[in-house]
Amino acid sequence: MNGAQHILEAFHRHHIDTVFGYPGGCIMPLYDALVDDAVVEHVLCRHEQACALAADGYARASGRTGVCIATSGPGATNLITGVANAHRDSVPMVVITGQVPSALIGTDAFQETDMLGMALGIVKHSYLVEQADELPGVLEEAFKLASEGRPGPVWIDIPKDILLAEVGPAPAVHGTPGVDEVVDASRVMAMLKASQRPLLYSGGGISLAHAEDAFRAFTEASGLPGVTTLKGLGNAGKRAPNDLGMLGMHGSRAANRAVAECDLLLVIGARLDDRATGKLEAFAPSARTIHIDADAAEFNKLRPADLTLMGDLTTILRALTGEVQTSPLAISDWQQTCRHWHTTGGFHAADNDDPYAPIHGPAFIRQLSRITADDTVIACDVGQHQMWVAQYYDFDHPRHHLTSGGLGTMGFGLPAAIGAQFANRASTVINVTGDGSFMMNAQELATIRRYQLPVKIIILDNQCLGMVRQQQELFYNNRESQIDLDDNPDFLTMAKAFDIHALHINRSDQVRRGIETLLAYQGPMLLHVAIAREENVWPIVKPGAGNTDMIDETHRPRSNKEYVA
Amino acid sequence: MNPQPPAASYQIHCRMTPEVAALERLCQVVRVRGFRIAKMAMENVGDSLDIALTLEGNRPIGMLQSQLEKLQTVVVVELKDQALSVVERFSAG
Ligand SMILES: Cc1ncc(C[n+]2csc(CCOP(=O)(O)OP(=O)(O)O)c2C)c(N)n1
Repeated sequence: MNGAQHILEAFHRHHIDTVFGYPGGCIMPLYDALVDDAVVEHVLCRHEQACALAADGYARASGRTGVCIATSGPGATNLITGVANAHRDSVPMVVITGQVPSALIGTDAFQETDMLGMALGIVKHSYLVEQADELPGVLEEAFKLASEGRPGPVWIDIPKDILLAEVGPAPAVHGTPGVDEVVDASRVMAMLKASQRPLLYSGGGISLAHAEDAFRAFTEASGLPGVTTLKGLGNAGKRAPNDLGMLGMHGSRAANRAVAECDLLLVIGARLDDRATGKLEAFAPSARTIHIDADAAEFNKLRPADLTLMGDLTTILRALTGEVQTSPLAISDWQQTCRHWHTTGGFHAADNDDPYAPIHGPAFIRQLSRITADDTVIACDVGQHQMWVAQYYDFDHPRHHLTSGGLGTMGFGLPAAIGAQFANRASTVINVTGDGSFMMNAQELATIRRYQLPVKIIILDNQCLGMVRQQQELFYNNRESQIDLDDNPDFLTMAKAFDIHALHINRSDQVRRGIETLLAYQGPMLLHVAIAREENVWPIVKPGAGNTDMIDETHRPRSNKEYVA
Repeated sequence: MNPQPPAASYQIHCRMTPEVAALERLCQVVRVRGFRIAKMAMENVGDSLDIALTLEGNRPIGMLQSQLEKLQTVVVVELKDQALSVVERFSAG
């Protein structure tokens, strides 16, 4: 068996049945081996960045490891943004690239780039395979590392001669017997009991740890009011009575107020990112902090914790659930206060009664949320539309919301939707995008057509880079700079060129019909939604300010001087 | 320009498996997490690389230590007791 065949063997062993890739010179032995493989479906995207982002979307939607493949040089460098995206959001991924033959490494050979060096800062771990016999062990280790503990991308760069070399058998895999973790929840409980206003702050770590059920059981048993990060949306389920939704820069007044006034913050599976906390000194100023995570390096990184607990989140949450069931928390006044704040300071987009009124982004997303089924997957891009989704779409599960949180990668949405559709062919997958983001990976319409994926695309078209325009308006004295996209292509014609059905709407009374048509359509379809250029995401906290200093529409400055950074 | 706060100096001892790019990984994490390498000595000992580092920086050294411990190639990171000295450093101009 040669090196390339060993890679396929490793895929089989790890139940990898879908990979996203693009061929080329140094990876050709693997593509040759694929010809004879009946198990692995190789998805040919139209750009390596999209391969990595599709593998990322696949992993987020399925909870399994995503795999992407590329050739050396430009193929590998094109993967970088997608791998960095997975790294910043701790997505399990194995990246396989061909490298120039061992003897040519370091000679500036054709399509030689030092991928090991280039990717160091964006991987959980990486390998350059130097000896053929190392390959099976490296593959085993890579799949294990990618998904265990805090997940992340693992990159294996393999010289072409090693792909072709005869390699001995794969090492026997001995599963390490699981050790039952014993969690001492008593100190957490003591702090919870002593608190009058405890608040749960959960993030993307819940679904990364596959701890969704345990988390939900804990929120129900404890009755704790909770706020979530962008990546934690859906953690508590859409009908959770004490969930206040997203905190932070574009979070709700209710969520940010609860953080400001709580006396105990129970942080679970979150890393206290600056977009969530705002100015640290003003963040939860009167609260003690308990931090629970799978990665000890997150403790005390940005805010000192009074108590930390590292380990498997399911085990810890189950232990805590047992404790609060035995000894319930007496926090009904605080719950009521939070619910009141949520009613008055949550996200409520009014429907427009005027049928001819232009479409309002938030109201559109609210309508989308009402119409779609609970298990719909939304893959967002980056910008205002992404924040409106976070604010106005009610997610029932964190794996239904695919969003580029840490890196904020425009162009993420379409390939991520493709990956999610491969993860579950039967599910409804919608890419909500902006006119800027859509163009960053628009070539993937060809992938949708090739595989006849029923992906739905909604472009909220404001003819500009809306999020940048908004910040220029508010913080740069309205001096618009390089944000105009009023020469966008005709998106309907573009879709048609890829044999994709498309529809345009621009009035409020067309919203419901437009969404229903999109959802009812059997194949892929694009809904082009014209929205006002001047629409902003409210509220907003100025970068570097405290989260209680939220600016909303009522404060939209005539002269923006007040907000010049 | 205002002078930067004085940087503390730390000694760290790190044992790594001698995988490809082990040293690069170490140096990169040190740099990205806000420290400067003032002195470095490396030696092959058996199956390991032993690296002694003198580092300067303003951030909590514990934060760097926990990031280094996350590297797959790192076996152990030891921080010699406490900050050894405080190095006065001023930015140019
Ligand atoms: C690859 C990349 N380049 C630049 C940015 C900076 N950026 C963030 S939001 C944004 C505008 C996005 O415009 P669009 O997709 O049209 O969405 P809108 O904000 O209008 O909803 C830009 C340029 C980014 N996040 N990613």
